[in-house]
Amino acid sequence: MSSNRDDIPPGTLYLLILKTLVRYGELHGFEIANSIQQTTEDVLQVEEGSLYPALQRMLIKGWVVARWGTTAGNRRARYYQLTAAGRKQLSIEISQFERVMGAIARVIQTA
Amino acid sequence: MEKLGELLRRIGMLQHRDQVASELQEEMQLHLDLRRQQQVEAGIAPDEAAATAHRRFGNATLLREHSYTTWGWSWLEGLLQDVLYGLRAMLRSPGVTIVALLSLALGIGANTAIFSLMDAVMLRSLPVKNPQQLVLLGKGNASGITDDFGTTQLYSYPFYREFQKRNQVFSETASIFSMRSDVHGTVSDRNQAEPMQVQMVSGTYFPLLGVQAIIGRTLTDQDDSTQGDHPVAVVSYSWWKKGLARDPNVLNRTLKIGDTTYSIVGVAPPEFFGTVVGESPDIWIPMSMVEQVPPHFKGAYSGNLAESLLILGRLKPGVSMAQATTNVNLLFQQILRHLRGSLSQDDAKALKKAHVLLTPMATGLSGLRREFSDPLKILMGIAGVVLLIACANIANLLLARSTARTREFAVRQALGAGRGRLVRQLLTESMMLALAGGALGVAFAAVASRLLLRLVSGGPEAVPLNLAIDSRMLLFTLAVTLVTALLFGTIPAMRATRLELTQSLKDRQGAATVRGKALLAKSLIISQVAFSLLLVVAAGLFLRSLINLTRVDLGFDKQNVLFVHLDESSAGYKDDEPRIYALYRQITERVNALPGVQGAGFSTFVFHEGSWNGSVQVAGAEKPSDVDVKHNVITDGYFSALHIPLLAGRDFGPQDTATSPKVAIISERMARTMFPKGNPLGRHYTLGGKD
Repeated sequence: MSSNRDDIPPGTLYLLILKTLVRYGELHGFEIANSIQQTTEDVLQVEEGSLYPALQRMLIKGWVVARWGTTAGNRRARYYQLTAAGRKQLSIEISQFERVMGAIARVIQTA
Repeated sequence: MEKLGELLRRIGMLQHRDQVASELQEEMQLHLDLRRQQQVEAGIAPDEAAATAHRRFGNATLLREHSYTTWGWSWLEGLLQDVLYGLRAMLRSPGVTIVALLSLALGIGANTAIFSLMDAVMLRSLPVKNPQQLVLLGKGNASGITDDFGTTQLYSYPFYREFQKRNQVFSETASIFSMRSDVHGTVSDRNQAEPMQVQMVSGTYFPLLGVQAIIGRTLTDQDDSTQGDHPVAVVSYSWWKKGLARDPNVLNRTLKIGDTTYSIVGVAPPEFFGTVVGESPDIWIPMSMVEQVPPHFKGAYSGNLAESLLILGRLKPGVSMAQATTNVNLLFQQILRHLRGSLSQDDAKALKKAHVLLTPMATGLSGLRREFSDPLKILMGIAGVVLLIACANIANLLLARSTARTREFAVRQALGAGRGRLVRQLLTESMMLALAGGALGVAFAAVASRLLLRLVSGGPEAVPLNLAIDSRMLLFTLAVTLVTALLFGTIPAMRATRLELTQSLKDRQGAATVRGKALLAKSLIISQVAFSLLLVVAAGLFLRSLINLTRVDLGFDKQNVLFVHLDESSAGYKDDEPRIYALYRQITERVNALPGVQGAGFSTFVFHEGSWNGSVQVAGAEKPSDVDVKHNVITDGYFSALHIPLLAGRDFGPQDTATSPKVAIISERMARTMFPKGNPLGRHYTLGGKD
């Protein structure tokens, strides 16, 4: 619908989710979206719904596990937590990201 | 490891798909609710808040679908849907379904049955170690014992031993007696002789093939080292099962064949039937015992030039057929010279002409293959045409049905179903039809292939061929089934989904499509008729040949003739014993005395059983004839029993005995070719003219 706002490549979305979960431990989907927006001070605008396909994929990959719990407002919510595989994946994603960023930075500097 | 975990999670998800869907729904709803609440708390009007929440979330339905399909099972769910829908469609028109299934079962079944025969006779490798390394000297279509110098089809035992020692191209060699001995033998503790088929082989036969006994041991070179003193036997699995009721103490039993008692030393594995496809000997006995086994071939073990063996070898790694042929031919010349001693002029000429051809033995020897390869290929072609007719037939039925379903497809397309999706649906239906037909076909083939085997066997017992349903056959059937489904399903599916939407949604269908379909249906019918005509003509020709065959003049009156095989050796009679002739005479007299018997006689061979071949030298002629003359040994009464008229001279009689002057009755053809001038009566010839 609003694909012009979805300017985060899917790979980076994984990175953001993984990093968020490392920082806060167990979160449900809304909390993940919120905390990404707060941390980035609304610079990165994610189409919030696209979080869910990404989370399903991460469940399949075994990077996160989920369990059902209750929110402060006493509603049922699915809480996601990082696994060992997820931590490993995070470091892979980070180094990948740094490599790409470094390369781009070099291009900018030489220009 | 990671991949495995992933796969397990994916499969685990299959068990609670509904839960996954509803949980997704729930957590997304929570997200929307919380966002809306947050907006309301920030002071935004409720309506506006909900809209903002939705806008920020994106297309919830689409995202839910994406999340769900991430698990990767949508193809399976689609298939399941198609299959269930297809099942309903099939049940809705049971007539079409039954007709289609029956034609498929027959078409696929016929193909499968003939393929399984072809596989058994022509294609399948012997169940032995590395069969592709096995090579036979000669073409393997000769059998018997001959002293014909320089033959490249059969070899003497001394030749085999010499060859074994000197050849450089085979890692192992073995020999097989070219004749199977059908004898009667007695199992220990029983008092009745039973028919058994004995194959004599060199001691290296089993080791060469890499065949291990499942009980006891197989034959070894030791069993074949000296003549006449190794009375041991290996029995086949099927004979152990049938003849010995799987006796676990089989190694303590003995077999009496002729005058000799053999110890059973082993049982061959179930899949091993020897090296001749279409035969399965009951018993293997070492070549060293060849003179002890009826009919007691004299000299077959020791005679330098008593050529009666087939020789096979296992190629050394890296040796090509061409290299092997060179080495074998070199040795062939050297060894034959050595065995002959001094060569006559004719011998030298024969040797010069001789060239040993090597034949790959991977699929074994088979007279059956020579005889039935072409008929099987023809049958396979016919079965293929039958299947094509079935395909055309079903395609037509489906086309008719799809005309009836035009509105259904129009509605579905109007509701947004893609054409590809509809084609997939229709092809799934075809595939189901074909698979069901294929399954019925396999059942049909299991019966039909046995029936075919009986048809070609022509004896009281079916030819022993392994026609069990195996993976090769099933794979073939599956391939045929899939091709069939594509053949009959594609055109109707493409046709059915090519729609003029607005036209079809109205009650009457578009005129253009109807015309197109009619044309297609017509061309399908035309091809069906064409193929059928082809088959009818072929069947007619076959039938005529068959009728002609029954009218072939065999040279004797086949009406009301019965024949009995007699194995006097099982009763302890030896060849050339005088009392054998008394026995024959006695039996002839007793049979003649039976009411209704017009005549009786003995003969060594009857129709289609072969003959004893040899060249002859006519007294007075300069050179022996090159023609092999076929001989048969008979008693008086043979000619009158078969109503074969004598054109001149007399029948044999009691006056012709072992000591009286030797007499022969010759055929009209031999009289014409060997005695062109004058009356052959009273003239003489000798056997074995070349010596």
